[in-house]
Amino acid sequence: MKLFQNTILSLFCAAAFLPAFAQKQTPPAGGAAKDFKLSEKKVQPYPNGLKTTLVHYGELPKATISLIIKTGNVHEGENQVWLADLTGELLREGTADMNFAALAKKAALMGGDLNISVGMDQTTINGSVLSEYAPDFIKLISALVMKPAFPASELERLKGNLKRQLITQKSVPQMQAQEKFYQALYKSGAYGRIFPTEEMLNSYTVQQVKDFYEKNFGAKRSVLYVVGKFDDAAVNAAVKSSLSQWKAGADVSYPQAKPAAMPDTILLDRKSAPQTTVLIGLPVLTPKDKDYIPQLVTNSLLGGSFGSRITSNIRENKGYTYSPYSSLTNRKGSSVWFEQADVTSEHTVNALNEIEREISRLQLEAPAKDELSGIQNYEAGVFVLRNSSPAGIINQLNFMDLHGLDDSYLNNYVKNVYKVTPEMVSQITKDYIQYGKMTKVMVGDKDAIQQQITKQKAAPKSF
Amino acid sequence: MRFSLLQPNKKWLLLLAPVLLSISWRKKAPAPDDLQVPVTYYKLPNGLKVVLSPDKTAPTIAVGVYYNIGFRIEPKNRTGFAHLFEHMMFQGSENLGKMEFIQMVQKNGGILNGSTRFDFTNYFEVMPSNKLETALWAEADRMKGLKITQENLTNQQGVVKNEVKVNVLNQPYGGFPWLDMPQYANENWYNAHNFYGDLADLDSAKLEDVDAFFKTYYAPNNAVLVISGDFETAAARKWVAQYFSKIPSSTLPAKPDLTEPKQTAEKRFTKEDKLAKKPAIAVGYKMPERNTPEYYAMGLLDQILLQGQDSRLYQALVQQKGYTGSVSGGINYLGSMFDYNGPMLWMSNLVYDSTVAADSIVSQYDQVINDVTKNITPEDLQLAVVKMRSGLYDAIGGNFGIGKISLLASFALFDDNPARINTLEQEFKKITPEIIRKTAQTYLSPANRTILIIKPTSAS
Repeated sequence: MKLFQNTILSLFCAAAFLPAFAQKQTPPAGGAAKDFKLSEKKVQPYPNGLKTTLVHYGELPKATISLIIKTGNVHEGENQVWLADLTGELLREGTADMNFAALAKKAALMGGDLNISVGMDQTTINGSVLSEYAPDFIKLISALVMKPAFPASELERLKGNLKRQLITQKSVPQMQAQEKFYQALYKSGAYGRIFPTEEMLNSYTVQQVKDFYEKNFGAKRSVLYVVGKFDDAAVNAAVKSSLSQWKAGADVSYPQAKPAAMPDTILLDRKSAPQTTVLIGLPVLTPKDKDYIPQLVTNSLLGGSFGSRITSNIRENKGYTYSPYSSLTNRKGSSVWFEQADVTSEHTVNALNEIEREISRLQLEAPAKDELSGIQNYEAGVFVLRNSSPAGIINQLNFMDLHGLDDSYLNNYVKNVYKVTPEMVSQITKDYIQYGKMTKVMVGDKDAIQQQITKQKAAPKSF
Repeated sequence: MRFSLLQPNKKWLLLLAPVLLSISWRKKAPAPDDLQVPVTYYKLPNGLKVVLSPDKTAPTIAVGVYYNIGFRIEPKNRTGFAHLFEHMMFQGSENLGKMEFIQMVQKNGGILNGSTRFDFTNYFEVMPSNKLETALWAEADRMKGLKITQENLTNQQGVVKNEVKVNVLNQPYGGFPWLDMPQYANENWYNAHNFYGDLADLDSAKLEDVDAFFKTYYAPNNAVLVISGDFETAAARKWVAQYFSKIPSSTLPAKPDLTEPKQTAEKRFTKEDKLAKKPAIAVGYKMPERNTPEYYAMGLLDQILLQGQDSRLYQALVQQKGYTGSVSGGINYLGSMFDYNGPMLWMSNLVYDSTVAADSIVSQYDQVINDVTKNITPEDLQLAVVKMRSGLYDAIGGNFGIGKISLLASFALFDDNPARINTLEQEFKKITPEIIRKTAQTYLSPANRTILIIKPTSAS
C-alpha cells in the first residue's frame, strides 16, 4: 500500500527538473548545507586474523553487532547448493552447553534476536541489543561460532524447512526470473546456482555441514562490527576473551567468476499470468574499476531511481508497471546491471521497446547538465542517509571490505560523484549498457508474449 | 541465498529499515527506561496539528504529513480509492506539476514516499537539514489543492492495477493474510472490504471523485504535520505558520461507526490459491480496545507468544513440532500496535506441509495459549517488557526519523497527545500477571478467532 514498492534507500533519484511555468511559484531554496562528517571508526586486528571495527553512532541506547564471515554459497560444490544455508541453520541450533531455546532466551533478555543469514559471498551473524549487553552478545556469538554443536537430531527438521522454502520460492515469478538470469550469465559457476534440487537437500549429512564449517569458517575470514552506543573497553575485553581465541581458519579465498554477456531471450511460461516479470541485463564494471562511481550515477539516471528515465517512461508516462527499477548487483570480482519490472502482460514488448529506447537515447545524447546535477545531489544526499544508521554504516564498511576498497572510496565518494560529466554518462551507457548484448528473461504467458514478438518483428522499428 | 515470503509491508516500522538515531537523551547516565523524545505540540487556528521533535544526530530533517483518512472509511462503491488517491497526491498541485514534487525532493538530495493504512494516509520526505523550508513549502502546496488531469488519473489507475497484480494477483499467497484476513474476520464493511480495491472499482474512479475526496478529507483540520531532525524550533514554527496557516479548514463528515459485533464462535475459511504450492494458515484474534489495560496486555502477550525466536509459538511450532520454518505476525500487519484507530486483529501466519493437518497446528495454538493463562511469572513479563522496549527504540530510531514521526502523528491524530510516546513503557510496566491471564482467557479464546487456510490448487 505504498506509493513505491522498494525500500527507501534503494530508490529514486532525480531526472530532468522540468522548468516551472512562469506564473507558478518556485520552491524556496533553503539555507546553506551543513557539513556531514562520517563517524570515526576504530579498527583492531588480532593475531588470529580477526578484525574488529567499532563505530560510535547516535544516542539511542542500542548496539548493532555483526560478525561477517567471508564464506557463503560461493564455496559450495556443484552438488552442494544451499549447503551453506543448512550450515547456517544448524549453527544456530546452539552449542553443547546451550541449545536453541536457551540461546534464544539469552538473546531476548538482551533485547535482541540472534540471526544468521547466508548470502552468496558472506555469512552474517548479527543482532541489535540494548547497549549494556553489547559485550554479552559478542560472547554469545563467539560461543556459537567457536563451539557449534551441529546437533544431528535437528537435521531432518531443518532440511524439511529448506525444502519447503525451495518449493515456495520457486513458485514466485521474480525468483524464477532471477534463477534463469544468473544461470545464463554465470553458467555452472557458483553464482549461477540459485536453487538446489530436492534430492540435493535430501542428501546432505551432518558430516558435510561440519566439513563445510571446518573448511570455511574462521577468524581470518571474519570481521566483527559493533556500531551504536556501547562501552569500548567492555567490548574489547569481550572480544579478547572470546573471538580473539578462535581458530585462524583458512585465508580469504574466492573463486574467479567471469560472467560473460549472453545475448539471448529466455521465455518461461506462466499460463494466463496477468503480468510478465521482465529481467534484462548484463555484466558490467566492478567496484574496483575507476569508472564504478560514474556507472552508479549513470544507473541512477537511467533506471535506478524513481525520477529516472526508464521509470518516468514505463511507469509515470505509460502506466505499464508499478515496480520498475534498475540496479547493480555486486558479487566478489564481478558485477551485473539489470532492469526488472513486472509489466501488464499485453504491454510486455511495448515496455521492452521503451527500455531500449531510453538506453539508446542516453547513448546517443549526453544528458542535460541540470538533469545530471539533480542526480548528483540525490546521490550525495543518499550517501548521508546511507551512513546515518548503524545498519547502514555496517553495510557500507562491509561493502568496502569485501571488495577491497580503501578509505579513500568513502572519503572521496561525494567528490567523485560530482566529477561525473554528462559525456561520461553517455559514454558509460555506450560502452557497458548495451541492449543488444543483454540477457532478456521474461516470465509470463508465453503465447501472449510470442504473439507480441512476432508482431514486433513484422513491424519496422519506430526509432 | 534465501528470501522471505509472505511478509509484504508487514511491520515496516519495526523491521524495514536500518536505524537512524533520533532520540534526545538526558545527559546523566541513562537508566534504560529514561527515554525522553522531545515533543512540542500545538495547533494552528485552521486546526492543523503540529508536532516538532528536534535532534541533531545527523544533518537531515524528516517531514511527515498524516491525514486522518485511511482505507477503512473510503467510499463504499470505490474500494481501493483511498490508496489510489494517495498516488494522486504526487500527480500535480498548484505550483508543482506531475513528477515535479518527486524531482524537487530528489534533486535536493532527499527521499520520499507515501502510504495508505487502516486509519491514515501519510506523505513524507527526508532531506538535508538546510531544506526544511523547501519541504514545508511543497507539502503546503499540495495541501492547498491538486491539479489532476484525466490523463494523470488514467496513468495512475494503470500503475495501481499493476501494483495489485504484482503484490496480489500474480503472486503465490498474494494478499495472504494481510489483505485477506480482515475481510474474513470482520463483519462491518468498513473493516471488511478489499482495501486494495477491485480492479473494476479502480477503473471506475473519476476526476470528480478525486476532487470530492480531496475536499472532504484533505484539510488542515484533518491532518498533523510532524517535523523531526536537525532544525531550530523557532525557524520551523515561523515557516509552518507562513506556509500552512492560510489554508482554509473544512467541515469534516461524522466518522462512521466502525464497531464490530462481538464474535461468539470460531470462524474458519479456506481460500484456494492456484499459484501456491504449500498450504498456509493464519490465525487472527480480535483485539481489545486501544489504550485499555487489556490492549497493553496484548502487546506483551504478542512479545511472549509470537515475537522473536524465544517466543512460545515459535518454540512450539518451529523448534519442537517442526511444522514450519518460521511463524510471523503481530498486531496490525500494515504498521504497529500504535498506529491504528479502530477494530484490529492480533494475527500470525505460517506455511506448512500438506502432510500436517491444520488442526494439529491449531491445537498447538490452543496448548500454548492455555499454558500462558496458567504459567506466567513476573520474570516472563520482565522479559516481554525488555523486548518491547528494545523494539520501541528501533521503531523510534527507524527509517531516518519516519518511525518516530509515525508514532507522534498517530498519537496526535487519534489521542490528541503526541507526548504519549514518552509514557508507553510505563503503561506496559503496569500490566500484572493477573491482567495477562484475564486478557488471554477473554481475547485468545477460540470463539474470538478466525482461521484462514490457503489451499494450494496448482499442479506441482
